[in-house]
Amino acid sequence: MIHRRPLRHHWILAAVCLTAALFSIDALWIPVKAEVAQILLARSWHQTLAGNPDAKPWPWADTRAVAILEVPRLGLREVVLEGSSGRNLAFGPTMVNSTPVDKTDDRILSGHRDTHFHFLKDLKKGDVLRLVTPGGSREYQVSWLEAVDIGQQQLVIDDGIERLTLLTCYPFDAPTTGGPMRWVVTAVPFGQNTNVAKNNTSGKVIPGPRVAEPGTSFRLPSSY
Amino acid sequence: MPQQTNAQNKQHSFQTPELQTLSIRDELEKLAWQQNPGLARNMSTRTTRKKRRARLSIRIQDRILFSLAAVLLTLFLIRTASANDEQWGLQLTSTTGQYTQLAVSTDIQVDITGLIARVEITQKFSNQGNEWAEGIYRFPLPQGAAVDRMYIKVGERILEGEIQEKETARRVYEKARDNGQTATLVEQQRRNQFETRLANIGPHEAIEITIGYLHNVSYSDLSYHLRIPMTFTPRWTPGQVSDGIPLTAALIGAALRSTQQVEPVLIPPGNSNDHALSLQANLISKFEFAAIESRYHDVDIRQVDNGYQVELLDPGAITDRDFDLSWTPALQAIPSASLTTFNDGDSVYAQLMLAPPLAKAITAQAREVILIIDTSGSMQGGSLEQAQAALLHALKSLGPDDYFNLLQFNSVTEPLYDQSVPVTQTSLYMAQNFITSLQANGGTDMAPALKSALAMPEIPGLMRQVVFVTDGAVGNESQLLQRVAADLDNSRMFTVAIGHAPNSWFMRKAAEIGRGSYIHIGKLDEVEQQMSALWGRIQVPALTDICVDWGDSAEFYPEIIPDLYAGEPLWLIARLPAEPTIISLCGEFNDQQWDMDVNGWDAAGGLSGSDNLAILWARKKIESLEDALMFGADRELTQLEITGVALDYGLLTRHTSLVAVDKTPRRDVSETFGQANVPGLLPAGTSSQLAGFPNTATGWLTQLLLSLFVLLLSFSLLWFSGSRLPTVPRHS
Repeated sequence: MIHRRPLRHHWILAAVCLTAALFSIDALWIPVKAEVAQILLARSWHQTLAGNPDAKPWPWADTRAVAILEVPRLGLREVVLEGSSGRNLAFGPTMVNSTPVDKTDDRILSGHRDTHFHFLKDLKKGDVLRLVTPGGSREYQVSWLEAVDIGQQQLVIDDGIERLTLLTCYPFDAPTTGGPMRWVVTAVPFGQNTNVAKNNTSGKVIPGPRVAEPGTSFRLPSSY
Repeated sequence: MPQQTNAQNKQHSFQTPELQTLSIRDELEKLAWQQNPGLARNMSTRTTRKKRRARLSIRIQDRILFSLAAVLLTLFLIRTASANDEQWGLQLTSTTGQYTQLAVSTDIQVDITGLIARVEITQKFSNQGNEWAEGIYRFPLPQGAAVDRMYIKVGERILEGEIQEKETARRVYEKARDNGQTATLVEQQRRNQFETRLANIGPHEAIEITIGYLHNVSYSDLSYHLRIPMTFTPRWTPGQVSDGIPLTAALIGAALRSTQQVEPVLIPPGNSNDHALSLQANLISKFEFAAIESRYHDVDIRQVDNGYQVELLDPGAITDRDFDLSWTPALQAIPSASLTTFNDGDSVYAQLMLAPPLAKAITAQAREVILIIDTSGSMQGGSLEQAQAALLHALKSLGPDDYFNLLQFNSVTEPLYDQSVPVTQTSLYMAQNFITSLQANGGTDMAPALKSALAMPEIPGLMRQVVFVTDGAVGNESQLLQRVAADLDNSRMFTVAIGHAPNSWFMRKAAEIGRGSYIHIGKLDEVEQQMSALWGRIQVPALTDICVDWGDSAEFYPEIIPDLYAGEPLWLIARLPAEPTIISLCGEFNDQQWDMDVNGWDAAGGLSGSDNLAILWARKKIESLEDALMFGADRELTQLEITGVALDYGLLTRHTSLVAVDKTPRRDVSETFGQANVPGLLPAGTSSQLAGFPNTATGWLTQLLLSLFVLLLSFSLLWFSGSRLPTVPRHS
């Protein structure tokens, strides 16, 4: 005689089921948020251009759109945010520099490797990048692509040098987050021949790859 | 069933574990059955089996449930962990107000005698805040530097640092700090990183710290070379590295002024007095130099009585780039040795250098070259490309009489030929094909590759050279090194490290044991230059199978004497019981027996050294003790031994620190004390700021896949368990 009785673990199973569902939604929410935020940000960008420098994409936002990054070859257009905090990164690529976007020539943008900056994987040397800021539009050409260990190297911002650097985590398809590697794409103003740097006699500083020799550097205190 | 079990127990001497473990429920059932025997009789064997199955399936479910819960917990942890990363690495140093800003100026004094550089770095700090401060700052030193001195100058008082055991030093420092005394502590953190702590710097007060170290000047390709690191940051260098940074070349006899155009450095206005750098280097030598070059700085070179004096030309120089000096003496064409000794009363310290002959004095010999390439997963991408380029370059450099072979390894080892073959058009073609078709995949199983390479039948009469191209991403370093040591026999091992962060310690050690040399290729465009340098050297082994007879029982380093190649010197340092009368050297030169005696008192150069020799010897001994750890030396014993040597010779190591304390307390203990981390002292290139790398991955895909998997599994379990699985009948 076999009784059909609901398993006594049912409630645990149900809980597991529910939690898993919540986690799935939580995970899906990230790319959804990333996309939706871009739409709202594009609106605030137009307001910024229209002369309202404090236009917020949504009422409670603590960031604002500062630039548009375009990659003509890949047909991409993304709104860049101010401040590279984890929260801002969820909404779009962010500007690492703390100086206002038009106050520096050495701009560094960072983005998530699995949302906005996934395209960095497809960038090639010679690709054209366009950065539109309230101050105007500039075109850059990708000149260096490299993987960097953050334990070994540091980002240096040299305000007088004109270049655009895109940063994201590396490897692109790693299952876990928080690894020490970053993918660094350095682009110099379009038309500037990078070979000039080799026999530079003009005395003018020509941009080079942002990160230098490995193994020659030292880790900064973790508290910096 | 329990009754049956009991019956079985009586009959059989052994029991199955499942039957042994009875749950409380079973016990209760047993009790019930004992009180009511009818129940037990009613139960058929079939039900019993069913029941057992049911219990088993519940256990499986338990297990699955447990696993699912574990996966969810992991997911939860990942979520919260990444949520904590929000503020990570986003602040720019020195622009935030949260740190006390300390300005610094640096003065460097370098005295170079023979192969030893004595460097003293004096840095001025000033507390620009209105509070008493403790500063913590890290500074870089070249690899292998022997730090042995520290002075601090507070006001007019000069305190000298003392080497003490690490824990003791820290206690002394902390006590002094809490007492309000000015104190400094220097600790070694890693092989080439040191940390200074400074306690009780008064408001608006200046303090001067001098750190002194000894360092061996490196020598290769006919010139000596010294690099003094000045920043923590790898400096971005204008132009491309491969093309060579323009050198300051000043030929002796010609104008003793450098002609190099140094790239302008951008200094924000109003800031230019901070981080100022002054530097003076004295090259003490009886010999004339062919050239002195400063790579990154404009320098003024003067000939003085006892050598040359090099000074920075630019009064506005700042510590934004490493100082890099090289100088070239004239050379004889035959290996010549120079000996320096120092007698401290108890023992004699001797430094022996064998200068390499010029390449043209040596006849090239045919060799057997075995190229081993790592094609494991970690080499994927740029690394493999560099390795391939390096190998193709190596193929091109083979001579017509050479033999060669190629091996690739990942999880499995695949040789091109079973044994080395002569260099022919066909074999080269095969090798090129082999190299270009390589793909990176799988694990790094280095040991079998080494083993099979070294076990291949040797070609009689040829020296075997193993060139190992890898990123060295291995975990079992010590085993591998032991294998190299055991199997190498008379072969030579050259290591070519590839990629951004190769395991350079392992690679260097392997080359050391293998009496070869080590190079590092960090970028594709370095392949040509680095490989040419390596090849130029290994093509012409100048002096091989070197033996040194020091006379009495000597303790010398390196313990394995490498071959002497054109362009590389041989350098040995020893501690001897007494002044050496004669040191005999032997070896093979151009395929012939070569002997040389160096007379202790009147060796070429005839320099009598200073106590620096003893310190350098101690530094080498400590390094060798540290290395022995990799070969399974006892950790505690080694630590004791290192501490002993370090205290005897006054050296800063991982287990000993330099501490200096001012006797008089200066800060009233009741006054507030701000602890400042001092990033403002970091790369003092004022033109630039440092930024952290933000964390730029969300990991949403992994989370989604994992949680969907759990969802699916738990849902199907829920669906099926209710209806299909047999359950236990209720007895109540």
